[in-house]
Amino acid sequence: MNDNDKEKGLEPAREQRDEAAQEEARLIRQAQDGNQRAFEALVRLHERLVFGIIGSFLRRRQDVEDLAQEVFLKAYLAIGRFRSGAPFAPWLHRIAVNTCYDHLRGIRRRPEIGIADLAESEADFLDRYVKKGYLSGGGEADDRLAARDLAERILATLPPKDRLAITLREVNGFEIAQIAGSLGCSRAAAKVRLFRARRAMQAALRRLIRQDEHDE
Amino acid sequence: MTCRDTENLLELERKGEIPPGEQQALTRHLAACRRCGETAKVARLSSVLLGTLRQEIVPGPSFYARLRERLAAAGSAQPDSTLLHAWGFARRLIPAVALGVLVLAGVTISLEGPSMPRQVQGAHSREIYAFSLEEVNLTGSVERPNQDQMLAFVLMQGQARGAGSGE
Ligand SMILES: [Zn+2]
Repeated sequence: MNDNDKEKGLEPAREQRDEAAQEEARLIRQAQDGNQRAFEALVRLHERLVFGIIGSFLRRRQDVEDLAQEVFLKAYLAIGRFRSGAPFAPWLHRIAVNTCYDHLRGIRRRPEIGIADLAESEADFLDRYVKKGYLSGGGEADDRLAARDLAERILATLPPKDRLAITLREVNGFEIAQIAGSLGCSRAAAKVRLFRARRAMQAALRRLIRQDEHDE
Repeated sequence: MTCRDTENLLELERKGEIPPGEQQALTRHLAACRRCGETAKVARLSSVLLGTLRQEIVPGPSFYARLRERLAAAGSAQPDSTLLHAWGFARRLIPAVALGVLVLAGVTISLEGPSMPRQVQGAHSREIYAFSLEEVNLTGSVERPNQDQMLAFVLMQGQARGAGSGE
């Protein structure tokens, strides 16, 4: 395929993208004029990622929906101040991340955890992992639940912004620039938070694994 | 392969980008080196745990009905929408009004003529127009800005005001 053919192949995708951007801009203008239907159409365009962000911090569907309602309501009330022509998704993500941040700040941070703090299912999961490695595949629903409990227990020891940084990166696949934009900090600060969060998580796991091996 | 390669290879492994040959070398090294073995265990467990936080939740059947109710309630609690529209329209007019004022000021200065000999000229005079409107009115001794300069001034003021908004 020569460059010309490639260019032709890209044309429809680019046209579609342009059309989608124009449609979004039109919906934003209408929503700014108080059109609720247009705002709802915007929500539907972006619901997946907003639910994904919130779902990485909250587990129960009802809690996720409640926080998502908060996010969209805040966005609705603030849309008049949205600068036309600016990208909409990062703006909405920032509201979602801020709302999650407020939620996390309300939770008391736990101190460093040891193996004695784990629930039985988490300790079992860890022990099996240490001995045999994690067995992924079918019929592992209980393991998955225990693993999520353990993940949340460890992440609950991090400062909220560090927790946001590692979750946005590792769970939601955000790039450093997106994390910085969502947290309202510089890229360097976002990198530091991510580095610190990874190191803290690994230190906690190393400690738990050593305690598990020591208890044999 | 050395201990220093381990972390990079584990990172490639996590992304699913590790070449098969390297994977074998990594496995051999991890079996032989206790320290790297532990590092790998921690790194792999970390990705497994974080992976469990990923969940696909779609809005339930009542989500949008509830959202509509809340938006409607929030909409009626907001200031009168006609007033909001009027304010939105007025805001869009601000730059045009500011430009008009500048043009009037410029015309006034040129009609009255400079009351003092020109002391500031050339490139310096442009800087004054670019950064301070007061200089024009107070001294009346500098060149009248052309339309582009006035427009640049208005735009700069707009940018200074707009910085930070729109997030
Ligand atoms: Zn080694």
